[in-house]
Amino acid sequence: MKLLAKYNRVNLITTIIVMLITGIIYYQAISWILTNQKDKDLNVEEQEIFNYVALNQHLPQTFKSDDQQITFTEAKPGSVTRQFINTVYFKKWDDENKKHRHRHKDNGEYESGRGLITAVNVGSKYYKIQIIESKVETEDLIRLIFTITIGVILLLLLILLITNRLILNRLWQPFYNIMKELRLFNIADNNSIPMLDINTDEFKELNSAVVDMAARAKHDYKDLKTFTENASHELLTPIAVINSKLDTLIQTENFSERQSKILNDLYGAVSRLNRLNQSLLLLVKIENKLLHEKQQINLRELVEDMIAQFDEIFQDKNLKLTYTLQDKEIYASRYLTEILLSNLISNAIRHNYNGGEIIIDLKDDLLTIKNTGDNEPLPDKKIFTRFHKSSNSEGSGLGLTISQQICENFNSSLRYSYLDGYHTFTVNLSSVYPSIFVTLAKK
Amino acid sequence: MKILIIEDEEGLLESIEEYFTEAGNICETANTYQSALTKVNVYRYDCILLDITLPGGNGLDILRSLKENNHPDGVLIISAKNSLDDRLEGLNLGADDYLVKPFHLSELKARVSAIIRRKTYNGSNQLIFNELTIDLLAKEVKVDGSPVKLTRKEYALLLYFIANKGKVVSKNAIAEHLWGDGIDMANNFDFIYSHIKNIRKKLVEAGCNDYIQASYGMGYKFTEQ
Repeated sequence: MKLLAKYNRVNLITTIIVMLITGIIYYQAISWILTNQKDKDLNVEEQEIFNYVALNQHLPQTFKSDDQQITFTEAKPGSVTRQFINTVYFKKWDDENKKHRHRHKDNGEYESGRGLITAVNVGSKYYKIQIIESKVETEDLIRLIFTITIGVILLLLLILLITNRLILNRLWQPFYNIMKELRLFNIADNNSIPMLDINTDEFKELNSAVVDMAARAKHDYKDLKTFTENASHELLTPIAVINSKLDTLIQTENFSERQSKILNDLYGAVSRLNRLNQSLLLLVKIENKLLHEKQQINLRELVEDMIAQFDEIFQDKNLKLTYTLQDKEIYASRYLTEILLSNLISNAIRHNYNGGEIIIDLKDDLLTIKNTGDNEPLPDKKIFTRFHKSSNSEGSGLGLTISQQICENFNSSLRYSYLDGYHTFTVNLSSVYPSIFVTLAKK
Repeated sequence: MKILIIEDEEGLLESIEEYFTEAGNICETANTYQSALTKVNVYRYDCILLDITLPGGNGLDILRSLKENNHPDGVLIISAKNSLDDRLEGLNLGADDYLVKPFHLSELKARVSAIIRRKTYNGSNQLIFNELTIDLLAKEVKVDGSPVKLTRKEYALLLYFIANKGKVVSKNAIAEHLWGDGIDMANNFDFIYSHIKNIRKKLVEAGCNDYIQASYGMGYKFTEQ
């Protein structure tokens, strides 16, 4: 739920509750005042009757009136206590009104009324007097107050909505701007989050906190990368020494079979260590976008070169290679393109079985490398993470990570799919710039 | 051949020196910027192996000084820095080749041989080893005058062997030389075996001696014996 909606909801509920309470208080106050007024009227009426009776020694005539009914009934002396009551007032219709109100069975309607019960002695007789006045005006007033209250609530609602639309959205704009910057934030690139021009203190604070945090994160990330790079660099020299010492050692000859086996294993391990180290260095370089040199490459020719390069290995594993290649020009780093192709093809070889199949296709901006292998799909998400590899793999576990990074660097994408025993890696080349002119034009 | 090895890492320096020292070769070493600069200013070498990061200075400055004085020495940069910028800078300054650490000594030897061959180019363009004649421009191999058809990789491998004659060349070094660093088919070098079998067969059928010997399952040796 949006903050705005939440705020609105609280706001509205409070407003409505407050308005309702105000309404009730109004109602109570006004109805109290009006009832008091009525009671005063009734007192006056009572006094008039008393005066009349005192003067004339008989009961006054009762007149038909729109808003007042007086009835006299004989009662046992002393049985009546003077009191005000809330009662109903029966209003008879005029003939004219009757036509419109024919739905009423009675020839009148009940209205709420206020009454005064009192008593008077006329001669020896004791009469109970009931004076009832209609309270219809009071109710009209209350209805009016209610309508006004509802009206004010609706008006408030409308004003709130408009305020939110116009003002709050504008007030929150800096927040959305900061959000946008955050979303664009990439720890690996060189763009930092800018200080936005904001004049709200809270957002200003938020913005500066975000800018600080981004700068710190970048700094730490850079440190970490520098560390990786330095560590890999520092490893190069000892690896070089081990390598050269091994090369020197095998010149001494006269090895037993056991010794030569150990030496072979050492060679294997050193070359794996070296490849791993090179891969780490390469990853850092790709991520740092340190490989800028781009050139026009005919991808078809490059793939053909690669296939020729791997020829002996295809034969060694009795792999059946089929390929259909269309011409495709890209403007990219040749070094990275070669690594990408070499990684994908050597994967297709390594995870294949003897006598398996490899199909390479380059058409319609798609480069696909299909190979037979294990009869189950690879875990789609994991294969691109660092150091993920199948248990029997001899690779560094960085090949696919590097390939994916290269594709990202090319503005392209690398996808894996599995169908009917074929593992397929697809490079989408549609967004890779075909030439320097397009690159310049896009800039 | 007179070779100067400028390298500050003692272990590497020793190995290189040992590998290059053989009949007809003179190896000198320097392990600081100052001693290297003194040597290159006084003596001339067929090839200088130059490390870039040296105590006391930058190896590229030694290269600059060589080129300013118009010394014709061949220069091969050996560096731990595998960035294109460094490589380009080195080659632009006039280095003949650039090899990234770590490397196989046999690879280094092959590169140095190539540089020296180019430097001492005497118009013949031919590399002769007993009955083997290799035309380096036409990339043709002849045994006693009759041509042998070798594939591109077989030809490269033969040159590699000749450059490292008398040395055991490991299977790893061969694989990396022919298929590049990208080849990570470690522990499975069967394809090298069949590859070498093919070369031996072609050469022997053409009447050449079988110079290539397997060495304890670790590698191969090109030797006259």
